Amino acid sequence: MELFLQSIVNSIIQGGFFALWAVGLVLIFGVMGVVNFAHGELVMIGAYTVWLLHAQNDVPFLLAVPIAIILAMMIGLLMERFLFRPNRTDPLAGLICSIGVLFILQVVAHEVGGTGPAKQVAPPFSEIIQVGEYLRIPSQRLFSLAVALSALGVLWYFLTQSKLGWALRAVALDREASALQGININRISMIAIGVGAAMAGLAGGLMAPLQNITPHMGHNVIITAFIVTIVGGVGSLSGAVAAAFIYAAFHTFVTTYFNGTIATILGLLIMVVVLIIKPTGIMGVKVSE
Amino acid sequence: MGITRRNLLRGTAATLAVAGTGFSTQLLAGQKTVKIGLNIPMTGDYAPWGLPGLYGCEIVANNINAAGGVEIGGETYMIEPVGYDHGYDTEKAIIGYKTLIGDDASMIMMLGGSTVGAILGRAQRGKKMVTTLLPSDITPDTPNLVAPSESHPLYNATGVEWLKENFPELKTAVIVTTNDIEYGQQSAAVYQAAFEAAGIEVLDTNFHGFDVTDFAPIVQGLLSNKPDVFCMATDVYTTPLVEALYNANFQGKIVSCTLDLYEEVIAKTSKEFVEGIVFQFPDFDDPALNSAQIQFPDPSGFWDTFQKDYPGQWSAVAWQYPAILTNWVTAAQAAGSIEPMDVLAAMKGNPNPPHTFGKAKWWGSQLYGQDNCVVGDWPVVTMQDGRARIVEFRSVLDWLDRNNDILKRKMQDLGLRTV
Repeated sequence: MELFLQSIVNSIIQGGFFALWAVGLVLIFGVMGVVNFAHGELVMIGAYTVWLLHAQNDVPFLLAVPIAIILAMMIGLLMERFLFRPNRTDPLAGLICSIGVLFILQVVAHEVGGTGPAKQVAPPFSEIIQVGEYLRIPSQRLFSLAVALSALGVLWYFLTQSKLGWALRAVALDREASALQGININRISMIAIGVGAAMAGLAGGLMAPLQNITPHMGHNVIITAFIVTIVGGVGSLSGAVAAAFIYAAFHTFVTTYFNGTIATILGLLIMVVVLIIKPTGIMGVKVSE
Repeated sequence: MGITRRNLLRGTAATLAVAGTGFSTQLLAGQKTVKIGLNIPMTGDYAPWGLPGLYGCEIVANNINAAGGVEIGGETYMIEPVGYDHGYDTEKAIIGYKTLIGDDASMIMMLGGSTVGAILGRAQRGKKMVTTLLPSDITPDTPNLVAPSESHPLYNATGVEWLKENFPELKTAVIVTTNDIEYGQQSAAVYQAAFEAAGIEVLDTNFHGFDVTDFAPIVQGLLSNKPDVFCMATDVYTTPLVEALYNANFQGKIVSCTLDLYEEVIAKTSKEFVEGIVFQFPDFDDPALNSAQIQFPDPSGFWDTFQKDYPGQWSAVAWQYPAILTNWVTAAQAAGSIEPMDVLAAMKGNPNPPHTFGKAKWWGSQLYGQDNCVVGDWPVVTMQDGRARIVEFRSVLDWLDRNNDILKRKMQDLGLRTV
């Protein structure tokens, strides 16, 4: 029972991170039609920023994370303005540009942090909360989960309750029809990548105290984000969030009770099965040509 | 007067202060230079096992050069370490080998694993000397490949042996390691053998990939076995693993191959929690390294220089490549030549090869088919009041003499190559 309960908690915390990784990717793809391979590196930049500011220069964690968000957002905006927008008619060009950005950001991280051991950030919230007889939840993880869920909530509110959010969803559904309705596609694209990159920066900042920080940490992020996005339904934000928590639970339980390598293999297998049985994902919709 | 190894060590120690005052090796320009190649990962996941070694070699070379260089075969040579970053990529390792050989490097130092395998054929055909930190790279067909410094992961057995002797109540253990053949599985086999030899039952061995973003599920899954000992067989993820153990309130003993940058581990857990963790790699300012048996030039001076010049970069390999460099100097002086095969013959011809932690001998035919690995005493290190401190030097050779059959069986069980 102890292990089962602890695994549920681990699943929820991991699901929050997976969701933050995936929604940014989905948002950017939905609105701009670009598969942003550098999305994992935006997460990495968020983590590196917190390491540099908080761990190396004593900037308070609660200030370092917003700076990480802003930095990731600015990189995203620059990518949109100078790489994706000029190549809007060619999705392949956008994809290749994002791969180029991926390598550039890795090199920047090398230059900033050096090439030595993985960077570590001591958790600013170090207490461990004991719940009942069995559960032990580190407050840093609880804080990260609360912030991740809050961010997802704000994003949901923005998309469903604000005019900009409606415009963003409209562009995701049909770019040309939206333009005919007077929606500024350039502006909406900037907002989409800004929000998506900010989510990535937030995820990286929150994760910084919880794992090894390396220039290559984005690799695992992008693979997981793709699995979640495909299982959830490409272009579906609610699908991505649902898939994030389902995949996190699956991965956590298989890792705990069997083996992490098996969990990864089975996770990829699930993605393949979903693609075969329901190519639109669990919450995606089929769009006619 | 020829420079003996003892004189070299003395001279190196004596010139540390000179080097510290900025005496430049450039003042000695115009003399002959011998290049020592380091074909190692300086970027990527394996960078911590490459780059600190280059830094260490530069410190030792600077000290040697500041003392006037080394006399080999009647000539005085300056030592120049030359690094090539292969990023743990086999194709780049081949390019690195060709580049360094083309640059007239007299010896090629490498970390080990697949990158060594990629260049071995060329090294054999070209009669070049290559060193590895992984004795498991050695095969009956690789006479030019030697492991003169680190006997990874054989020395891990001494930590378990010490643990059992000092805590006889320990009965069960779990092991976690990466699932690669070169490091993780080799290390797991030694730990499994060491636990069996010590009468400690291994309840579970978890092999994980390099894609883990959260270690809590792995650690909690292993701890559900209620082990007395939690064993971390490889280095890369020790910090998040210890953090996960701390979060899970693990009360048993922790044994690890390394505990690099343990200050960061303490910052993520507590000084009290890491107290007593057993591992195998000392800080080089450890008082125990001042004993007469140590064969490394001025360990504490080396440590101080490294910490000053490369803060936060120390890892287990920081002294290992420099140790090979000093071994090469000793062998080259004995050979009176810098030609690779002459140096190798002199190195292999020494029945009591120099070894950082004291007496050692050439070993390996029992497991790898060739006695090309220097194995000797190795320190058992524990965390004491927030510092890594050597508690004892133990003989790896003695353990192997008693338990080689167990080790061989464990390696075969995991599908690892043995003779």
